[in-house]
Amino acid sequence: MSNNMIKKAGGFEILNHWVLAISFFILAISGFGFLFHLEQVGSAFGGFNQMRDIHNWSGVVFAVSLFLTMFKYLTVALNFSADDMAWLGKAGGYFSKKAQMPPQDELNAGQKLLYIVVLLLGIAISVTGVIMWLRPEMADVNKWVLFSFLVHNIASDIFVIAIPIHIYLATLANPGTLRIMISGTVPVEWARKRHAKWVQKLGY
Amino acid sequence: MGRMSILVSPELCIGCRGCQTACKEWNQLSGVKTENRGSTENPPDLTPNTFNKIRYVELPSETNMVRWLFVSQRCMHCGDAGCMKICPAPGALFRTDEGAVAFDKDKCVGCKLCVTSCPFNVPRYDEKNKISKCHLCAERIANRLEPACTKTCPTGALRFGERDALLGLAQKAGYAKVYGQADLEGLGAMYAFMDAPKIYGMNENPAIPESVVFWDNVLRPLAYLGLAGAVAASLVHYVAFGPKKIEEGKKDE
Repeated sequence: MSNNMIKKAGGFEILNHWVLAISFFILAISGFGFLFHLEQVGSAFGGFNQMRDIHNWSGVVFAVSLFLTMFKYLTVALNFSADDMAWLGKAGGYFSKKAQMPPQDELNAGQKLLYIVVLLLGIAISVTGVIMWLRPEMADVNKWVLFSFLVHNIASDIFVIAIPIHIYLATLANPGTLRIMISGTVPVEWARKRHAKWVQKLGY
Repeated sequence: MGRMSILVSPELCIGCRGCQTACKEWNQLSGVKTENRGSTENPPDLTPNTFNKIRYVELPSETNMVRWLFVSQRCMHCGDAGCMKICPAPGALFRTDEGAVAFDKDKCVGCKLCVTSCPFNVPRYDEKNKISKCHLCAERIANRLEPACTKTCPTGALRFGERDALLGLAQKAGYAKVYGQADLEGLGAMYAFMDAPKIYGMNENPAIPESVVFWDNVLRPLAYLGLAGAVAASLVHYVAFGPKKIEEGKKDE
């Protein structure tokens, strides 16, 4: 690593984020196939029967991958400071041409918020998915499955709104960010503008 | 052909269960071993191999020893079918030209969501985890034959025909209200009840679960509207504001 680069993500995090992303895409595409009876999507997955298995097992991969993110991001994301509230108050500066933004941690307030939302939705969608899949032997199983079906669909609706915005913010809207998911390193100056508190803590 | 239906008149039923046997014979469904539960009703419930059955209801009576109601049960072939609404596999459940809700086991993915969405607790799953239920003898009625159960009924308790004609028949026989006339956009199995549907063991107001209706009307369209909206909003934002530029001069913080 050259002196002007700083490590933002390690190999495991990069790999895990790709696992999470790819499993998400498989889940979303097959989910749309089920929701709207998309025959071509079904064929691409080798038929709706096989798509069901792939959807379910991708869900397991997604849940495990999401669980593994918690070790790295949960404490950071839950640590909301006054600077974070100020950042959110300015909507991240995304609606002004030149905003002076409060200094941010390793994750900015928007990223913290997204992480918490994804984690909660991910837990909800995984648990409800397992209930619908396994239909555990219990009284009122139909009521539980109906409730799970509702929650699963609410969560998936929020996911398909939140994730495109997440991808936009991590690519077009913030050039240079995608490097974190590829090499894991970013220029120190780039990081200092976006994560001043974190860079300072690291002693750069 | 218009929409075809079954009209059940419990007061005409003698409880012979010929309909159960005829159904099994035509559809080649094996017998189900049951045990004496102290009731003439047998088997106790619909199974993957029992598409129809007679529910025996015993009520106190002043004129007889007992008032016995025989209620022939099967898939109701709802006009607005909860099972079809929720099913994620295209073609697994489908509407025939005659209005029956039929199924294709090869296309069924075995998720059992139809079980939760059915207002009448009808769908069952076979040993291969595929849906199994009454299909109104779809291939018989497509060939201008009547279903096995109505064909064999000796008393007219089960009648098959054009739905409107059956409704007219019931009205002429003095039934002001026919169960299933309007519920769920009309049921394909209607009942000429002399008393409240409740005493025959039927739900007064059958309905698809509210959460399924909400999902169908709101959550399902929101999936693609939300996705399209998020992508569109991102593009609009990019055009309006472009990539984020962060002011210099933050180095001291």
